[in-house]
Amino acid sequence: MSKKQYGWTTGKKIGRGILGIGLNGIMILFSLTCIFPLVWMFYSSLKVKREFNADIVSLPKSPTLTNYIKVLTNPDYHIADSLVNSIRTTALSVFFIVLFGFIVGYILARISFRGSKIIWLMLLMGMLIPIHSLLVPIYVVFNRVGFSNKWFTLLIPYISFGLPISVFLVQGFVKGIPTALEEAAAIDGCSFSGTLFKIIMPICKPIMVTIAIIQTFSCWNEFSFALVLMRDTRLQTVPLAMTQFTGQFSSDYPKIMAAMLITMSPIVVLYFAFSKYIIKGIVEGAVKG
Amino acid sequence: MLSRKPKKSVLFAYLIVPMLLYVFSVFVPLVAAGFYSFFQWKGGPNKTFIGLENYVTLMKDSVFWEAFGHNIYLVILCVIGQVGIAFLFVIIINSKLVKLKGIHRTFGFFPSTISAVAVGFIWTMIYDSRRGLLNWFLEAIGQGAKTQVWLNNPKIVMTLVAIPLIWQYIGYYMIILLSATASIDSEILESAELDGANTVQRAIHVILPMIKSTIMVCIVLCVSGNMKAFDNIYVMTTGGPGNSSMVMALYGYKVSFTQQNMGYGSAISVAIFVLGLLVIGGIQLLSKIVNKNEEVV
Amino acid sequence: MKRVKVVTTLLLSATLLASTMLSGCGSSNGEETNKGGKESESVSSTQGTEKEVESEDSTDSGGTGGEVAFSGELTFLHFSTSEESEGNGGSDGFRTTIKQWEDAHPDVDLNQTVLSNDDFKTQIATQAAANDLPDVFMLQGMNTKSWAEQGIILDMTDIIKDSPYYSDYNTNYFTPFTSEDKLYGLPALTGGTCTVVVYDKQAWEDAGFAEFPKTWAELEEADAYFKENGYKETLAFGNSGQWQLNSCFMSAIGSRFTGDDWFLSIIDKEGAKFTDQEFVDMLTFTQDAFQSGIFNDDFNAINNEDAREYFISGESPAFVGGNWDVSYIQATIQEEDPDLYENMGFAVLPQPEGATKTENTQNIGMGYAVAINSKLKDDPEKLAAAVDLAYTLTGPDFATYVGENYALQGLTKVADIDLSKFDEVTKAFYNYSYVDTNASEIYDSYVSSAVWEVLNTEAQSMVNGDTTPEDVAEKTQEAYEANY
Repeated sequence: MSKKQYGWTTGKKIGRGILGIGLNGIMILFSLTCIFPLVWMFYSSLKVKREFNADIVSLPKSPTLTNYIKVLTNPDYHIADSLVNSIRTTALSVFFIVLFGFIVGYILARISFRGSKIIWLMLLMGMLIPIHSLLVPIYVVFNRVGFSNKWFTLLIPYISFGLPISVFLVQGFVKGIPTALEEAAAIDGCSFSGTLFKIIMPICKPIMVTIAIIQTFSCWNEFSFALVLMRDTRLQTVPLAMTQFTGQFSSDYPKIMAAMLITMSPIVVLYFAFSKYIIKGIVEGAVKG
Repeated sequence: MLSRKPKKSVLFAYLIVPMLLYVFSVFVPLVAAGFYSFFQWKGGPNKTFIGLENYVTLMKDSVFWEAFGHNIYLVILCVIGQVGIAFLFVIIINSKLVKLKGIHRTFGFFPSTISAVAVGFIWTMIYDSRRGLLNWFLEAIGQGAKTQVWLNNPKIVMTLVAIPLIWQYIGYYMIILLSATASIDSEILESAELDGANTVQRAIHVILPMIKSTIMVCIVLCVSGNMKAFDNIYVMTTGGPGNSSMVMALYGYKVSFTQQNMGYGSAISVAIFVLGLLVIGGIQLLSKIVNKNEEVV
Repeated sequence: MKRVKVVTTLLLSATLLASTMLSGCGSSNGEETNKGGKESESVSSTQGTEKEVESEDSTDSGGTGGEVAFSGELTFLHFSTSEESEGNGGSDGFRTTIKQWEDAHPDVDLNQTVLSNDDFKTQIATQAAANDLPDVFMLQGMNTKSWAEQGIILDMTDIIKDSPYYSDYNTNYFTPFTSEDKLYGLPALTGGTCTVVVYDKQAWEDAGFAEFPKTWAELEEADAYFKENGYKETLAFGNSGQWQLNSCFMSAIGSRFTGDDWFLSIIDKEGAKFTDQEFVDMLTFTQDAFQSGIFNDDFNAINNEDAREYFISGESPAFVGGNWDVSYIQATIQEEDPDLYENMGFAVLPQPEGATKTENTQNIGMGYAVAINSKLKDDPEKLAAAVDLAYTLTGPDFATYVGENYALQGLTKVADIDLSKFDEVTKAFYNYSYVDTNASEIYDSYVSSAVWEVLNTEAQSMVNGDTTPEDVAEKTQEAYEANY
C-alpha cells in the first residue's frame, strides 16, 4: 500500500497541518508534565528545608549541595548498604518475574488444560489483594516458616505479586501472535521447550522488556513488605532506609528528595541511557507482515 | 490454542515452581486473612472466635460502603482516563504526524516510577489554596471567584485525587499498549492515520481488535489497581475531609493498624477482594456480550 | 486427569499449608490465653530473681553503665531517627544516651531498628499481633491496657520501684502506662506540651493587646483588626492529618469544659460518656471557633508544618500547635527573623465562654515509654540488660542532657538545671510548659486509637460544618463502647 494513492488537496494539507500541530502540542505538553516531577525534585533538593517549606514551587535562590553532602556523609542513613540490597533484590526478582511470567503466560495462552482456568483465576485473585491490610497474615506466615529477615525474603513476595501482571501481559501478547509459527516448529520436530525458548521468546521480547521495566521500578519502590518482613537494618532496601529521613512531627523534604534522587539514580540513569534500546525492544516486535 | 500439547510432566515441571511460590506468598496469607476475619482480634496475639460478626458489622458499616462507592467512581474515572487516554496517545504516537516519538515514549512512563509521596506532594502543591498553581492560574485568567480550598471540598475531592492517579498511570498503560501494537504491521498503522477524518474510526476498527486482549488486560489491571487504591490518597488527604475521599484499602489499613482491629481489618480485606472479583467478573461478562454482538455485526 | 490433579494438588497444598499454619496459630493461641492466666504468679516469681540481679547491679555502679552479665543480642525498636534528632531535644537526648549505653556495654549487641514514627506504629502493631515483639521497644500510652491484658508486655511495677532513680521520678508521667495499678513502662523522651499558642507579641501589642487575649470574644475583636491590617488570619492551624485537632486543640479545650475527672472516668470506664453534655459543648465550641473565620480557611487541607509557615512568614500573628512546632519555629526564625524571635510569646488557648471546669490548662505528658517484652522474664540475664537500658534511657543522664541543652524535662527530675544561660524565649517556653500553666491529660495517650480515629475523622467534617457535634459525639461513643 502506498500513500501516493491519496491525492492530497490543499485544504486537506492545511487540515493535516493543524492536526499535526495539535497532536504534537498535546504530546509535548504531556511529556513535559511527566518529566516535571523529576525536574522539580532536582531543584527542590538544592534548597534548604526552610526555603522549601516557605515556597514549594519556586526555584532555589541560592542552590546548595548541603542536602547531598548530608545524605552521603551520615553513616546513620546507610545508603550504600541499602543500595546493594535493593540492586540484588530487584535484579533477582525481575529476572524471575519475567521468566516465570513468560512461561506461565505462554502456557495459559496456548494450552488448554482443565486447571488452566483455575490458575488464571488464582492469578487474577492475586491482583485484587489489598496488601496493606494483609500485612499481618503475611508477617505471621513468613515468620512461622522462618522466611522473614533473610536476604532472600523479599524475593518471594516480589516475584509472587509481580507474577499476575506479567502472566496476563504475556498471555495477551501471545494471543495476538498467529499459531502458525509454533505449528511449523512442531512439524519440524522441535520440542515444546525448544519452541518455547527458541521461537516464542524472541517474539515476546517487546512484552518481556515492558514487564522488566515496570517490575524494576515497582520492586525498587516497594515499601510495605520491606517494612514488615525485614527487621535487620543491614538488610533494608532503599525505600526503608529512606524512612530515616522522616521525623515524627517534621521532615526535611529537600533532603528526602536528595536522597530519593541519589537512590533512584541507578535505575533512572539506566533507563534513560538505554531508553533507545528499551523503546526499540518494546515497539519492534519480531512478527511483521 | 495449540493442536499438539506438550507432555503433562513437562507442563507440570514448568508450572510447579512459580505456582508454589505464588500460592505460598499470596494464597496462604489470603486464606489466613479469611480465617482471622472470624475473630475479634484487637492488636496483640489474643483472638476470640466470633463467627460472622465482623461481616455483619461490615454489611452495616456506612463508612465501608461509602468507600466502596468511591472506589467504583475511581475505577470508572481511571479506566476512561488511564486506559482510554493511553490508547488515544498510542494512536497519536504511532501517527506519522507526531515528532519526538522516542521522547514521548521515554518520558511518558516516568511518573509511574516515582513514589507516591513525591506525586502526592506535587499535586498537593498544585491544589494548595494559597500558593498552589491551580488557584494562581484561575486568578491569572480572571476567574478569582472560583478559587477555593480544593482538597477541603467534599463534593469534588474524589475527582481531585483521581486526577493525579490518572496522570501518573497514563504512561504505564501507554507503554503496555505500545508493546502490543508492536505485533501489528506498521503499514496497517500508517494507513490508519493517513485519512485524517477517519483516524478515530480506523483506530477503533483496525487497531482496537488487534490489541483487544491486551486492552482487556489493561482494564483488568486498572480495575484491580483502583479497587485497592491506597498510596496517593493516603499521602494527599488520608481519606479526608472526614471520610470524603476514603477508599476501601485505606479504610482497611486504618482499621487494622490505626484502630488495631485486625479481625475486622481482615474481613475488610476479604471484602475488597470479593468485591473486586465481582466487578472484574461483571466486566468480563459485559465484554463477552459486547464481543458477541460485534461478531454478529 | 493428571492436570486436574496438579491444580487440585496446588490448591490443596495451599489450604493445607494455611491450615497447618493457622492451626499452629490457634493452638499456640490457646496456650497464650492459658499463660495469661498464670501470668500474675509467674511474673511475681521472676520479679524476685530480677530484683536480686538488679540490686547487685545498682550497688556496683549506680545502675547506668553498670555491669550487665548478659552478652548477646538485644533487639530494640524505636523511632528516634537521625532526622528527628536534629531538631527535637528528646530525640537527640535519646540517641545520645543509647550511644553511651552501647559504648558502656560492649558485650551486648544492641540491634536497633529505627523507623519513622508512622512506620514504627505499623511494624510494632504487626509484631504485637504476631506475639513477636522486640526485646525492648517504645510503648504508646493507649496500647498499655490491651497489651497488658494479653500479657505481651512485662509488668515493670517492681522494676520501677527498684530503680536507683525512683525517688527522682516525676510519677505523674506514669499514668498512661498504668493498667490495674501495675506499671508497664518507663516514660521516655521528654514531657512536652501538645497545645500552645505561639504569637508575635509586637503584632498583638499593635492590635491593642498587651498580652494574649483571655477570651474568644477578644480574639474575634482582634481578628477584625488583623484582617484590616494585612494579616490573612488570626490563628494559623493545620489539620489535614486529622490528629492535630484532637492533640492540639480539643484535648486542651476539653479539660476546660469537662474537667479532668470526666476524662478519668472515661479512662476507667466509670460512667462518663462522649455524649455527655459537657463534651458535646466542647465539640460545639470547637465547631464555632473554626467556623468563625479566626483560623485560616484551609485549616483542613494543610498540615501543621504548612500552618506554622504562615506564622513564620508573617501572614498570621499567631499559630496553634505543639512543642514540636515550637522547636521548629524557634530554630527557623532565630536566624532568619531575629526581631520576630525576640517577640515570640507563648499562651494557653483562651477560655471558652461557658467552660467552667478548669482554667489555664494545656495538655502535657509523655506519650511513649520504654517497655520490655514479657518473654524476657525467662532469661534473667537478658532481662537485666534490658532493664539497665530502660533505666539509663529515662534516667538522670538523659534528663541532664535535655535539660542543659534544650531546657526540657524528662522522667527523672534533675535539680541543678541552670536556666539562666538560655535566652528569654527558651525560658518563656520552659515556664509555659512546666511552671505557669495547669497540666491536663493528652487524650490520645489513653483509651484506644479506635476511638480517637473515629473522633478525629468525624471532627474534621464537623469543623467544616458538614456534621453536627451531637453526631460526632454519638459516633465516638459508639466506637468507645465497641472498642474499649
